[in-house]
Amino acid sequence: MARPIEEILEKVKIREIRLPDVRPASPSTPLSEIYGHFEAQGRCAVVICEGDTPVGIFTERDVLNRVILERVDPSTPISELMTPNPKSVRADECLACALRSMVKEGHRHMCLLDTNDRPVGLISARDILVFIAEHYPKAVLNLPPDLHQRMLRCEGG
Amino acid sequence: MRCPNCGNENIPGEELCRACGTDLAGLDLPEAQEDFRGKLLDERVGDLPLSPLVKADPTTTVADAIRLMRANDYGGVLVCDGTWIVGIVTERDIVVKIAKNNLDPTTVNLFEIMTKEIYSLREEDPPAYAISLISEEGFRHIPIVRGDRPLGFISLKTMVKYIHDEVLGTG
Repeated sequence: MARPIEEILEKVKIREIRLPDVRPASPSTPLSEIYGHFEAQGRCAVVICEGDTPVGIFTERDVLNRVILERVDPSTPISELMTPNPKSVRADECLACALRSMVKEGHRHMCLLDTNDRPVGLISARDILVFIAEHYPKAVLNLPPDLHQRMLRCEGG
Repeated sequence: MRCPNCGNENIPGEELCRACGTDLAGLDLPEAQEDFRGKLLDERVGDLPLSPLVKADPTTTVADAIRLMRANDYGGVLVCDGTWIVGIVTERDIVVKIAKNNLDPTTVNLFEIMTKEIYSLREEDPPAYAISLISEEGFRHIPIVRGDRPLGFISLKTMVKYIHDEVLGTG
């Protein structure tokens, strides 16, 4: 029996969905190495951790807003450029909690914490959108490669 | 997994019903209820709140494009030659092609780094198309057009907000 998507979002915990492994960076990591983090993880944000404590987050938007026009030295430690006190959510909270928080605060990424408040990853708005898309395979996933493709004649006609 | 034909309870993932042989393929996909699906297919992307149309000429420098993106608080710029859309440049392009290589953004023009193969949606297309492009193709910014004329962008953020409001309510 199909359930309403809102019920699914309220029931499914963040830790139950597939999320890529995320390697945090330390505050002393130079800016030039952060680009490698983006690439290696296929993400556009990196969590900065001091030991087991998340102290900041650095995203591609930060590069646009704080780095390029300012011609920041690539050896600058990321602690000088990151957004401190990253917004976080516990991995055992529901997806609806993460979604509400992202929309309310306007964040695209949130740091994931375990029950001991240790960082275990990152959840992005895209992760939630992909999860929802997977629940509408006929409407969203089974579309033709060219979305505007039209059949010119009936098959075999 | 219950067979829709005879009601026999089959093990999850079974392709044919063990009792009557009915094809069960696809029945155990995690399909959600129909109501939101209907909206995904019936509504128009052009009716969603579009992000501002940030556009620039191909000869605009990356530095000027970044100023434009900052002023509009948006992470993408549509590259237009007159009224023709010729490319798109996003924050990802700027990070990978400019920042990572430590290039001077005042010396590089948009046509040197733009993505020329653009996927756009018509304003009458359903939100399902936008979600498909974002989740399957990995896009974050999709130009919305009326005929050949760009109207604005649908972003990942817009679609997440749309889903939030439709599914969880605006309260």
